[in-house]
Amino acid sequence: MSPATLFFALSTGVVAAGTLAVESSSRVQAQASPLLASRPDRRPALPWKNDSWLNTDKPLTLEGLEGRVILLNFWVFTCYNCTNTVPSLVDFDHKYRDKGLTLIGIHTPEFPPYAGEHDKENVAQKLKQYHIEYPNAQDNDSRTWDLYGIRFWPSFVLIDKKGVVRYEGAGEFHLNDRNYKLWDGRIQELLAE
Amino acid sequence: MSHLGLTAWAAAALAFSASCATPPKPAEPLGVQTTLIGPNTRLTLITAPGLKVSALLKPALELNDGRVLRFDSPRLTPDSAYFAEPPSALAPGRHGELRGTLRASVCDEGAAVCRTVVLDL
Repeated sequence: MSPATLFFALSTGVVAAGTLAVESSSRVQAQASPLLASRPDRRPALPWKNDSWLNTDKPLTLEGLEGRVILLNFWVFTCYNCTNTVPSLVDFDHKYRDKGLTLIGIHTPEFPPYAGEHDKENVAQKLKQYHIEYPNAQDNDSRTWDLYGIRFWPSFVLIDKKGVVRYEGAGEFHLNDRNYKLWDGRIQELLAE
Repeated sequence: MSHLGLTAWAAAALAFSASCATPPKPAEPLGVQTTLIGPNTRLTLITAPGLKVSALLKPALELNDGRVLRFDSPRLTPDSAYFAEPPSALAPGRHGELRGTLRASVCDEGAAVCRTVVLDL
């Protein structure tokens, strides 16, 4: 069983541990999700309603971005796979913002507030540290995460100019690696439509 | 009780009869080893093969009385992002008396993704 397949299987894991009666109730539920090998999908994008934003003067809405290609990146600053992917996302932003791409970070905490992931100042500091200039929404109640049925950090949803979800996937990638090129090609494809 | 809950209790009962230190089975992401140390219990997290626990977001045991215990280990991977040996925490009381919620960010080496594993004790 490959690690990825195993990881899928683990989504329903029931854990028996010592004499502890343990019930697994992971936020992640049973069904598998595409990881690195993203699949094309065609469903209407759903309007997110996050209230707290960074790197933008006003909240961004799906309706307000009609005519632009949108890449949603579900991440959290405590996720190493997520921050390793940031240089690629910053590169996409620099290359394609003026050509019609809007990249939006959906910052979704893994743990309750005691871990510091909900703190806006902490998020702002990390945006600066990683040179992230694209807008970010705080998804502290996981509302947008749940809306899009996300299961893993980091995850990506690519939306076309008409507001249709065209590609989804998850997993770290790096500048100019195979999956970077995959996402780069998809962005170019949707920008050209 | 849900079907999942019943299954979990049954699995836990089996584990009780077998051992007090059960590593995760192949289809389980995380197991908890318990070791009595005087009046306290050391909890150690064991991952299934191919998985690793994030050290950037240290696992936490949220006890029902409001206290939060964080798991730790002195040995990390070279990038300091993951535990290189199982993290542990010392919880007050005997393990049969522990009640709370355990959280860990568990990451897949192959697919380079993480997810939260939540265990209700």
